[in-house]
Amino acid sequence: MNALVSRYSQPAYQHEGHSDNDTQKQLALDVAPSLSLNFALPPIASTASWLRAMTDDHANPNVPIKLAHGTTTLAFRFKGGIIVATDSRATAGNWIASQTVKKVIEINSCLLGTMAGGAADCQYWLAYLGMQCRLHELRHKRRISVAAASKILANLVYSYKGMGLSMGTMCAGVTPMEGPALYYVDNDGTRLAGNLFCVGSGQTFAYGVLDAEYKYDMEEDEALELGRRSILAATHRDAYSGGFVNLYHIKEEGWVRHGFNDTNPLFWKYKLEKGEFSNVTSQLV
Amino acid sequence: MEVLLGITGKDFCIVAASKAAMRGASILKANDDKTRTLNKNTLMAFSGEPGDTVQFAEYIQANIQLYSMRNSSDLSPFEVSSFVRAELAKSLRSRSPYTVNLLLGGYDSIKQKPELYWIDYLASSAPVPYAAHGYAQYYCLSILDKHHHPDISFEQGMKILRMCTDELKRRLPIDFKGVNVKIIDKDGIREEPYSDDKQVYAP
Amino acid sequence: MASGYDRALSVFSPDGHVFQVEYALEAVKRGTCAVAVKGSEIVVLGCEKRSAMKLQDTRITPSKISMVDHHVCLAFAGLNADARILVDRARLEAQSHRLTVEDPVTVEYITKYVAGVQQRYTQSGGVRPFGISTLIVGFDPESKEARLYQTEPSGIYSAWKANAIGRSSKTVREFLERNHKPAMPRTETIDLTIKSLLEVVQTGAKNIEIAIMAPGKEVEMLPSEEIEKVVERINREKDNDAAGRRGGAATGGASAQGPEQVLTSRPAGEGAVE
Repeated sequence: MNALVSRYSQPAYQHEGHSDNDTQKQLALDVAPSLSLNFALPPIASTASWLRAMTDDHANPNVPIKLAHGTTTLAFRFKGGIIVATDSRATAGNWIASQTVKKVIEINSCLLGTMAGGAADCQYWLAYLGMQCRLHELRHKRRISVAAASKILANLVYSYKGMGLSMGTMCAGVTPMEGPALYYVDNDGTRLAGNLFCVGSGQTFAYGVLDAEYKYDMEEDEALELGRRSILAATHRDAYSGGFVNLYHIKEEGWVRHGFNDTNPLFWKYKLEKGEFSNVTSQLV
Repeated sequence: MEVLLGITGKDFCIVAASKAAMRGASILKANDDKTRTLNKNTLMAFSGEPGDTVQFAEYIQANIQLYSMRNSSDLSPFEVSSFVRAELAKSLRSRSPYTVNLLLGGYDSIKQKPELYWIDYLASSAPVPYAAHGYAQYYCLSILDKHHHPDISFEQGMKILRMCTDELKRRLPIDFKGVNVKIIDKDGIREEPYSDDKQVYAP
Repeated sequence: MASGYDRALSVFSPDGHVFQVEYALEAVKRGTCAVAVKGSEIVVLGCEKRSAMKLQDTRITPSKISMVDHHVCLAFAGLNADARILVDRARLEAQSHRLTVEDPVTVEYITKYVAGVQQRYTQSGGVRPFGISTLIVGFDPESKEARLYQTEPSGIYSAWKANAIGRSSKTVREFLERNHKPAMPRTETIDLTIKSLLEVVQTGAKNIEIAIMAPGKEVEMLPSEEIEKVVERINREKDNDAAGRRGGAATGGASAQGPEQVLTSRPAGEGAVE
């Protein structure tokens, strides 16, 4: 009877992060996996190196699987909060797979994540992060800090290090305890706090415009404009970035979306009204 | 091109670590802190594989702190170095080793002596009077060999550090954005302001 | 007497009791008393110390008050050895929390964790519940408001302004209920803690241990001379009061010496409970 009793004696909260070696094994007996983090793996000796061989289009342009790649995303802190901006193009090799991708993931009303790298990896793990953040909120009765959220993600991707995850993300948010906070997390497990980050194949172009005019004491409209213009610069020069400028502003009260604007009219506005992009001519020579 | 430098003197230990965090062609952060405080009188500076470094350092930090909490006394720098070396050796023989190089600076309050340990990712550990990791070794060890003495004062120590960082600025092809300088002595660990505005040119 | 329902731990008796858990509470009641009082920006833990035997080295005998992290302190009543295990679990979790979430634990979080561990040992086979109650005090990171929680063998946890556990905790709690005021300053909080302990510790200062926590500071163990001074002052005040009252009207003779006095005179150092 004791065996029977112990079989049905597992507490409901066992996924609360407690680990208790002597009882855990027995308690885990009849628990179905909650959200499956155990992936079915193909029958291959070394999945990681196989995946790399099949997907690394940098080393071999004729790989059979072309992952969706290539992006420009940026985020920066300024006195009025945080600006987050991305392009919206997804490419698989030379093929533009989509021009209307949402690369900003709304984790909750005060927290945003950006995606660069493998689209599937980013979407899946940021959704997972969203779930963890909500659970944290319920357990601790207060909103998760950006530091904690980014660390959950960093620890997670670190545990998959070397297995082919591809993501470069930023976690940005404003919380009462830490104010505006910005973290960079990438697939080798790096996690950095900072004022300004650009991530993706177009990062250098975005950095160029952003660094030159970035000041912490910018006004809100100035900051939004700078974010927009930096993404535009990257979409203009980086073949793997383009589509629309997706712009967000995070304030103490939460984030506000400032449109999903086509880069084409935006480009012509800057060219015709301000005379920028003078390398592009509109008439035949 | 991460720079780690360590210098001991009469009653202090200086640990310096470069401030740049690089990824690919970009410097993502120019004020990165590549050190972690392990307990009241031991500090660890780290470089190596991105991700591994912080992960390993914080794991060590948590364990050393746990020891302090459990026993209400701190491990000495030598004891810390043995623990760190053992952890690295264990990881080296695992499926995914930590690729991390370390400098461990400390002050032994019983012996009243500063200590410095040079530890690499192959889990070698050596007590040394001065040390460097990475390309800094090629430039700085010769300087330190020439100018370092075991009983130098703090001011002399900082002067030698300045010679090292100036040489690195002069000869390293990539800007490492200056160094964070931490001092460990009988009063604990503190950050030493270290100006980086002087231009240095190769003659 | 319990007709077999106290054998297997995880079995209810027909009227809904889990006897082993209730027996654990008995072990708590036999443990030495621990008191905690919240003041404004301060929280004080007080413990009754078992009087040491002649050859015992009191200097390095472990205390009933232990640090879980720099900002969280725990005192217990009940089985000493059980507490060691529980405290160690809490310390590990505190460091683990720092490692995974970067921030130190909140007092509520670590309380919930401790209570969680205790609860688990009431619901699985082949184990025995922890024979301890704990008082967990401290300050949340970046907060100046003191926190005070209690956990019990059943895994219940609750928040308090002031509370006592262990031997004669009822007397002490009633004393606290009469004398606790909101937002007391430092000295008043310490005084109240010691006064409440003196309700049950007849041997005075040398059997009292006091830990003080303030926001952002390391824990402060009050030196025994200081405790002695406070005790003397309290006794003087008491005498003065009594003299004053005798001078006035002859008030009721119900003395403060409760039935617990008998207990304190048991031979020191006996029994496994502390």
